[in-house]
Amino acid sequence: MRSAFLQLAAVGLLCSTASICNAQATAARGERLYADNCSTCHGEELQNNSTVAFDLRRLKADEHERFVTSVTNGKNTMPSWDGVLSDQDKEDLWAYIRANANDR
Amino acid sequence: MKKQISLMVGLAFAPQAHAQTAQDILKASPESVLTYGMNYSQNRFSQLDKINTTNVRKLVPAWSYSLNNNTGEEAQPIIYDGTAYITSQNKTVALDALTGREIWNTPVEYPPATTRVVCCGIVNRGAAIYEGKLFRTTLDARVIALDIKTGKEVWSVKSGDANDGIAMTGAPIIANGVLITGMAGAEYGSRGYIEAYDPQTGKQLWRFYTVPRPGDKGAESWPDNASNASGGSTWTTGTYDPDMDVVFWGIGNPAPWNPLLRPGDNLYTNAIVALKPKTGEVVWHYQMSPTDPFDHDNITSIITADLTVEGKPTKALIQVARNGFVYILDRTNGKLLSANPYVKVTWAKGVDLETGRPIWTDATKKAMTLTDEIETWPSNSGGTNWFPYSYDPRKQIAYVNTLDFGMKYQPAPIEEIRNLKPGQGHRGVKITKLYNDNARGHLRAIDPFTGKAKWEIPFKSPNWAGTLVTAGGLVFTGTLTGEMIAVDAEQGKIIWSFQTPSGIIGQPVTWEKDGKQYVTVTSGTGGVYVMNTPDPNLKHTPAGGTVFTFKLMED
Repeated sequence: MRSAFLQLAAVGLLCSTASICNAQATAARGERLYADNCSTCHGEELQNNSTVAFDLRRLKADEHERFVTSVTNGKNTMPSWDGVLSDQDKEDLWAYIRANANDR
Repeated sequence: MKKQISLMVGLAFAPQAHAQTAQDILKASPESVLTYGMNYSQNRFSQLDKINTTNVRKLVPAWSYSLNNNTGEEAQPIIYDGTAYITSQNKTVALDALTGREIWNTPVEYPPATTRVVCCGIVNRGAAIYEGKLFRTTLDARVIALDIKTGKEVWSVKSGDANDGIAMTGAPIIANGVLITGMAGAEYGSRGYIEAYDPQTGKQLWRFYTVPRPGDKGAESWPDNASNASGGSTWTTGTYDPDMDVVFWGIGNPAPWNPLLRPGDNLYTNAIVALKPKTGEVVWHYQMSPTDPFDHDNITSIITADLTVEGKPTKALIQVARNGFVYILDRTNGKLLSANPYVKVTWAKGVDLETGRPIWTDATKKAMTLTDEIETWPSNSGGTNWFPYSYDPRKQIAYVNTLDFGMKYQPAPIEEIRNLKPGQGHRGVKITKLYNDNARGHLRAIDPFTGKAKWEIPFKSPNWAGTLVTAGGLVFTGTLTGEMIAVDAEQGKIIWSFQTPSGIIGQPVTWEKDGKQYVTVTSGTGGVYVMNTPDPNLKHTPAGGTVFTFKLMED
């Protein structure tokens, strides 16, 4: 999973403007996936009132594995999204979250 | 059926505790709260006036009770024979209504994956009671019956599956001896339905699908004869007219929200459907928002009222709809009598009284065909939402917690919604809300004939609670920062307030016992707005469910 992400990042680094466009597209897709599946608890545009759900903007660049594990297996009151969100969906969500993180 | 009728007659002659009958619901004595909406017209108007504008400042808590839950409390209490029945997402409890002491407590359990298809609050909105049983729904889409004396389960029926995007949060009703429930899940591509059960046994009597399939009536209003059509959930509670023997139920939005792949009216989404409770036969329908792109989910309360319209006595129904218009329909045939905006509305210029259809603005037409960003009002949250309003039939005024914000709206490209499966998120749009932080909401006293407010009170965070109006001249509701308030219904002034420990998203009710009037409400923040919406005003309102009952302080 992590390697898939690194691969994606590497492609982004190595490639030209077209690929940067791809990275933006993936974040844009992640934004809509987020609105469909995550915003209910985690808040519109990643912002919530922090009474119940985790503020995803606090995720750091090296916490990709933590993110994927939580989404796949569920955590505390969060259900598992295994079989609902694909690996690509998770990467697009990660791209969106990282693009809006507190610590970029 | 014969057996059931004789049972009812028997009870009428020998009333016994915990055996609430069809006659009891019809009578709707102000001493009890026997059905959702407080009576069959669902107007949440109480004849009680012992608590009134002159003495309400002496209103104090009689007791409070912890629901030991932090996901939000939206249930309307049921009060019968000195007992308060409260539902939460994870339990049902019976409490001594005078002391708050627990009589029984029956947990509700469901698989963790259930909440994946719960879009709008991990909540439950209330119960129905009938002939010694309490009926409720669960998040994993079961309908259950409990013995009202002991809380023991009598029957449990699995109605829907989370894998199909189905959950249940609404309160059922009893209509002509039939238990009727709705379901939730248009945000996950479920196919909506209303269904009926035999309250004695849990046997399903009928199911009416709100979204057709090829060959069904309305199939022509979808692409491909509705082969894959979805949405039209039924997640609040319909209203029963016992004289007509008809149930009126509000139907939710089409799925996905993104409208690009579903040109057509998309029946029966965003309509009111009138059904026969014994058979599920459709008597009429009226559609508020055809082809809706904006999640104007038509599930707000439906109030029956006998009005004079153009000089003629009319059996009417009133709906303060999520799309921003307040509708009056002839409830005998579904004919539109009036529709006027009660909040800022820009998606339609008005409603054509001849055709009954909204007059779309250019921006709305654009949103139905292109992926351009538009601005529209009200937002997808609506001009109001699920939380019920009250209506004083003497003054013909509705007391409504309104939502006063719009949104920027942009459909995603078609490729992103083409292959959605039930159980997956079905929105496919980008939304940015347009808030005025001084007043995201109001409590308004609305004339249903004009939509105009006689008075309004602004609130920084919108109220997400039901309202209650009484013959004592008071409107009760709660705020997201936790104040239970009483408002002078004539003057529109807050004349009493009590800070509860959490935000209020419940439904206040009033009742009487031994000549004393009480007001009961749940406190406990949550629900879709609080979970979903960044609101700087709510930073200091913790979660945690409680039931509060208030009475006048004794000397």
